[in-house]
Amino acid sequence: MTRKIRIVHCGSLYNCVCKVLVFCLGMGLLSIIRKIKKKEKEMRILMVGLDNSGKTTIVLKINGEDTSVISPTLGFNIKTLTYQKYTLNIWDVGGQKTIRSYWRNYFEQTDGLVWVVDSSDLRRLDDCKMELDNLLKEERLSGASLLILANKQDIKGALAPEEIAKVLNLEAMDKSRHWMIVGCSAYTGEGLLEGFDWLVQDIASRIYLLD
Amino acid sequence: MEDEMEKVTSSSSNNEEAEAEAALQKKHLSMLDRLSKRHPTKSTTTSTEPPTESTSSFLSRFSQLKSSIESHLSESQFISSSDPSHLKSHFDKISQSISDLEKLVAQSSYFLPSYDVRSSLKTVSDFKRTLDNLSSELIPKKKFSFKNKATKVVAESKQSITPVLDSVQSSFTVRDSPGFRNKTGEVLIGEFKESEFGEFTVSDLDSCEVRIIGCVRALFVHRLKNCRVYVGPVTGSILIEEVEGCVFVIASHQIRIHGAKRSDFYLRVRSRPIVEDCIGVRFAPYCLSYRGIEGDLHGAGLDVETGNWANVDDFRWLRAVQSPNWSILPENERAEIVDISNSECRKEEI
Repeated sequence: MTRKIRIVHCGSLYNCVCKVLVFCLGMGLLSIIRKIKKKEKEMRILMVGLDNSGKTTIVLKINGEDTSVISPTLGFNIKTLTYQKYTLNIWDVGGQKTIRSYWRNYFEQTDGLVWVVDSSDLRRLDDCKMELDNLLKEERLSGASLLILANKQDIKGALAPEEIAKVLNLEAMDKSRHWMIVGCSAYTGEGLLEGFDWLVQDIASRIYLLD
Repeated sequence: MEDEMEKVTSSSSNNEEAEAEAALQKKHLSMLDRLSKRHPTKSTTTSTEPPTESTSSFLSRFSQLKSSIESHLSESQFISSSDPSHLKSHFDKISQSISDLEKLVAQSSYFLPSYDVRSSLKTVSDFKRTLDNLSSELIPKKKFSFKNKATKVVAESKQSITPVLDSVQSSFTVRDSPGFRNKTGEVLIGEFKESEFGEFTVSDLDSCEVRIIGCVRALFVHRLKNCRVYVGPVTGSILIEEVEGCVFVIASHQIRIHGAKRSDFYLRVRSRPIVEDCIGVRFAPYCLSYRGIEGDLHGAGLDVETGNWANVDDFRWLRAVQSPNWSILPENERAEIVDISNSECRKEEI
């Protein structure tokens, strides 16, 4: 009897240990799974374009921040924001000539590429086309969805998105590229959500099956 | 270093007492020369030996070397435009300091936290990549070719084909924006009183005076020589490129200045103004006046002097010490208030 009790006792202890172990493991696994899930919902978005095109203003405007005092970006800014059910990590990299050569440092694992154009800067559209062409040659960006924001539509005399598309010769782009051009104004906020909606949906449909 | 030098000279003088004073002097000089040439590599190799095995001393040494490499890298563009023949040696020097940096990391790796090792190795590899890119970009590769006339003909015919292709590709011609262009020795006046105007361009002017009264959204300035440019508040941004010997009195939310030489800028700006590839540019506060400017400034959100006219960022000078490319205009050299309301000169209404 005593022996049996002891066995039962041992068994319950064993059970107990097992339960605790499973519990701990479960917690660990759960948190790991959660982390993966969370990571899955993350998208890495790279914002580039010539200086003075309004990259930083766009990011701040989307995030609902004050856009009245923005200095030209020396280096880069990272903004993490929740957009629909996704977490966007937006890398806003300065566009001055001196630092354009550093853009390549940010190419890795980019899901979405946002190319911002100052639609009122007619003289530098050639520069803009050249830099975009160079960027699209980059193999590490070959899978990224491309959103072109024809910014500053609020300024009188700015080119319409259709005109920008012609100047940049977007139709001639590699057929495998997912791209879209949207006219916008970081000043009024117009067009920004439309553009980012497309980008996020496109990335989601490419990377994760839409649920 | 100096101790070492003295030791060497004294020993050499002991050994060769018979030598004439002049010869010794000559030898000494050549040695000094040699030592000074050795100096950079010497100093870096001594610096690679960590004096104390502390992370902080490593990090400070590392960042010191890092910033010197960075500044050398950033100078490459300038050297390539001014003196391309020196590029090769310049890149060799950078490559040497990068490998010194790598050595330093390797030698310190046994006492460093793994994060620091990783991040510093990342920096090193980034440097290598940047250097590779720079050198492939700036030093044209010697192409393998047969030296006969046939290739030349091919090259020429290719050249004649490419522009045609280009013109086909960009068949869409962009219209010109409103602005003042291609003038010499004129006073050009634009008045934008009623409503806010869009973008405005001022380009290819020589010895002109430009007066813009009222608000515009964006201003583009390109290729000006010996001009004076007086501009009311610009509610968006101003972009200035390739100007020389000019005076600007401008107010805006953002101001970018590229490739300016010997020019003075009187600014009011909400954010930090930036310069890139500029030499001899000077800054002072805004000093413009015309009838109704207060209202315009207020409407544009530029009625408050932020003091940012002096907070210039030089994208070609990423160091803590003052950039040699720009300075603050001494007060006794600054212009008085410039009043452009009485314009009895020729008007160009837009």
